[in-house]
Amino acid sequence: MSAQLLCVHIPSFRLALARRDITGIAWGEPAVLADKADRGRVIEADVKARALGARIGHTVLQARAAAGGVHVLVHDAQRSSAVWSDMLDALDALSPLVDDAGEGTAYLDMRGIGGAPQEWGRHAHDALRDFELPVHCAVAENKFMALALTYAPDGNTGALPVEVLAVDTQTAERLHLLGVHTLGDLAALPHGPFVRRFGKAAAQWHDRARGIDPTPFRPRPHELHIDAAAYGEGSADQAEQVLFALRILAERVCSDLERAGRAAGMVHLTFECENGDVHELDAGFSEPAGEARIILDVVRVKLEGLQFNAPVSGLRMQVVRLEERGAPATLFAQNEPDPQAVAVALARLQAVTGTVPHRARTRRATCLEERFVYDPFVPRPGAAQRAPSPSGIAPQLRLLMVREIGVNVRGNMPVRVCLHDEQYYQRVVECAGPWRVDDGWFDTPIERDEYDVLLDDGMLCRIYRQGSHWYLRGAYD
Amino acid sequence: MIASPLASVPENSTFAALKAELDARAGGRIIASVADALSSGLPELDQALGGGYAPGTLVSLEGAGCSGRTAVLAATLAGVTRTGLAAIVEAPFAGGDGGRFYPPDLARSGIVLERTLFAQANSAIEIARCADVLMRSKAFAAVAMPAASLRATVWSRLCGLAQKSGAVLFALGRDAGNELGYFASTRIRCGINHVVWHHNGVLGELCGYEIDARVLKHRRASPGAVAHLHAAAAEIQ
Repeated sequence: MSAQLLCVHIPSFRLALARRDITGIAWGEPAVLADKADRGRVIEADVKARALGARIGHTVLQARAAAGGVHVLVHDAQRSSAVWSDMLDALDALSPLVDDAGEGTAYLDMRGIGGAPQEWGRHAHDALRDFELPVHCAVAENKFMALALTYAPDGNTGALPVEVLAVDTQTAERLHLLGVHTLGDLAALPHGPFVRRFGKAAAQWHDRARGIDPTPFRPRPHELHIDAAAYGEGSADQAEQVLFALRILAERVCSDLERAGRAAGMVHLTFECENGDVHELDAGFSEPAGEARIILDVVRVKLEGLQFNAPVSGLRMQVVRLEERGAPATLFAQNEPDPQAVAVALARLQAVTGTVPHRARTRRATCLEERFVYDPFVPRPGAAQRAPSPSGIAPQLRLLMVREIGVNVRGNMPVRVCLHDEQYYQRVVECAGPWRVDDGWFDTPIERDEYDVLLDDGMLCRIYRQGSHWYLRGAYD
Repeated sequence: MIASPLASVPENSTFAALKAELDARAGGRIIASVADALSSGLPELDQALGGGYAPGTLVSLEGAGCSGRTAVLAATLAGVTRTGLAAIVEAPFAGGDGGRFYPPDLARSGIVLERTLFAQANSAIEIARCADVLMRSKAFAAVAMPAASLRATVWSRLCGLAQKSGAVLFALGRDAGNELGYFASTRIRCGINHVVWHHNGVLGELCGYEIDARVLKHRRASPGAVAHLHAAAAEIQ
């Protein structure tokens, strides 16, 4: 089999990046990378720092003590990820198939790409030159050999230390004690006895030392951006004109979505006005939308709460959340409502009431008001099949606005209650309680006694006493 | 007792047999059966309604603050949420007749809370607009709203939307005003006639109550039927 995998490797990528970003540290000076500035630990160390005694896992203080004069740099995960992503994008120029093997290492499938292997390496260096990082390239038949060759440009991988296999420190020390220092030493050992002694993982080490690596090539998915814009085509000073332009953009976006086999989970709209104002708006869908009609309906509802002070001169519709197209199929989905209709209704309700429509969820709690919580409403297909069968009619408490009431007490039980008029007290016909609620000791303490009372006018309500005051909580209906 | 309009029709044997069968089913009331009626979840009330609520209609559930309207509604929504979606428009601003539903009690009556939408409106017009949006979506089989004081044109529109969507719109209130009373296809007045307690005092618990649901108006049947319902607390606090 001919060589076809190009490995692009930056040794100690995170450390190299941190070193590059900080001026004043020469490449030859020892440095370690810590995970955080305060009380951090070493996560990478260069060769010189290791030679001086710094080790991965050391605290910064330990590393400084072990390797006097070592530079301590702090890792910036966000920046590191962003730079690596940019580097992968740059490598797309060499091959459409790039396998991201983690920050600092990438494999490119070079089958069908013109040129000699040496030229591929040169092209990779050219593509990544602007990043100013030490890039090593090598071509081989499999991933491990390509990576190993980046450390052995002369092709003599047998002379590489066993640490190239990414074995842990203890295993490396055991191998050294047995006189196994290089890949060549390891490859010379008999496979069976070595695996029996070092466990299952040793089979892979031994295979790799002999140049065998069956790890498959997994190309990274390419990010897809779908948007449509209208600029420099005049201005719109009426709602109908804006909606007409939005419809055109929605149709363009949906056409692209259909071609890509995707649907929009959310669209982001940008309106630029003639006076320089920029209005931005997000429209989310409860189910991924792929039809212009649906997108337009939701956007139109969202626009109800927006006002422009000048004609709109520019429009941009961008899909910010790409979702898989198609609805989940279930055996019992015939009666499920149209998710798009629900999405439009939710957006309209939000525009009408100013709050997100919700659904309730019950939970265990002592306090009456804490026995349920509200979540944003998302209809779940199949929920009905899990529901218990209706249990007939049950008393229903309606929670009223809590207000103070007057209560006459005899023997600690309410006997007369005044709900409305201060002069008119109603007789308590029946009473049950009290139920002691003692909750919220960690936050806002609640201590109250609750009663169900039936008044002589037929009112059946839940009242409670808190301290020396009485309150109406709800009525049974 | 309202005289049946069919009383003047000359009888023959087939007609007499049919009438006898209908009488046996409906307790002497003349009822045009509804093929795809929405069951109230209560056999006694279904019988009084001639099978249940007619789809695409406005139903007024009336009664004082503690009359069992919510319990009757909850029984219906329990059946609705087993196959479709239901929506409740709440009006916490509206003192005695309003207030919020209590989800644990709704769940106790069998309502699938995952499939029940709660929308909170702050004024009568918001209530109407929420109901309008919900009916227009055609996604909800039943929508419940407070019987707010709305103009006849608004009720007319809501009735039209209910008919188009095939959903049943429930309006809960103390009394149906003239407008709601006119546009509602079914009016039911509820009242608690007996509260059942388990013991009294310190060891007492509310066990449930008995509700009389009287059909005041029914487009497809003669009114006056009364259903005696018993609401029992499955789980005492």
